Amino acid sequence: MTTTSSSPRLNRARLAQGAAGLILGGGLGYLVGRLAKQGDIDVSGLTWSDAMAVLIAVMLFVTGAILVAATFSKRLAGRIMDPASDRPARPAQISVYRQQALVMALSGLMMAAPVAARLASQPLSSQLAGAVMAAIVGLFLLQTFLNLSVWTRADEMIRQMVAEAGAVCFWVLQGALFLWAAAEKLELVPALSAWDMMTILMGFYLVISSVISVRRGLT
Amino acid sequence: MKNRLKILRAERDWSQADLADRLEVSRQTINALETGKYDPSLPLAFRIARLFGQPIESIFDDGQA
Repeated sequence: MTTTSSSPRLNRARLAQGAAGLILGGGLGYLVGRLAKQGDIDVSGLTWSDAMAVLIAVMLFVTGAILVAATFSKRLAGRIMDPASDRPARPAQISVYRQQALVMALSGLMMAAPVAARLASQPLSSQLAGAVMAAIVGLFLLQTFLNLSVWTRADEMIRQMVAEAGAVCFWVLQGALFLWAAAEKLELVPALSAWDMMTILMGFYLVISSVISVRRGLT
Repeated sequence: MKNRLKILRAERDWSQADLADRLEVSRQTINALETGKYDPSLPLAFRIARLFGQPIESIFDDGQA
């Protein structure tokens, strides 16, 4: 049975995902606001890239955590992986899916960790900074292993989509980086930190990945 | 690239998921192939041709003929 990109089941799945995002995002925003109001955290020192990084990190971590939980039900995992299909996910599919979800969750943790450390310790202690960096390196190595595993087991179309997203990101951002660097050298624009550039890269990659997914009919 | 995948699948009364299982790809890949949103790799094109017992050129049409 052929499914269209606008089937009722697919639209219900999109609505559910959107609603979940609104609820979780709203809940997180309320929590942060409450903690800031109580004086438990001081967000006044956050830069635009810190705020953007935390937003992306929360999206990745929460989505990844929910998807990992969903993989413990074959039927639910099948529904989330492919809303247009009736079939429960097979064990091999669940394994790849769980690894992809873990990659997302780990990305979120790694992006949030430096900002969270700076919020937790003002001024930032060298011991905390060292400990957080060691944790990030460990998580990065684990995530790299999971990414390679997912790559080798993924569907050929998924691999092509990942390669396309990487290529688009490279060509667009290297051009943008060059132009900004030239303007910065000429003192026409302010300097960007490595954290600023990393946040822009992650945000752009997520947007491009979503666009490519839509073009292939996955979402 | 145009193709006759949907027709060949319907002749055998296979769902997209059935065809995906036989070709060891995801159902979304089959859907993308049938809707022209994705062109298969050469190994996958050969597997498709062998599965349906037809030459690749009779299944896929790049419009150059």
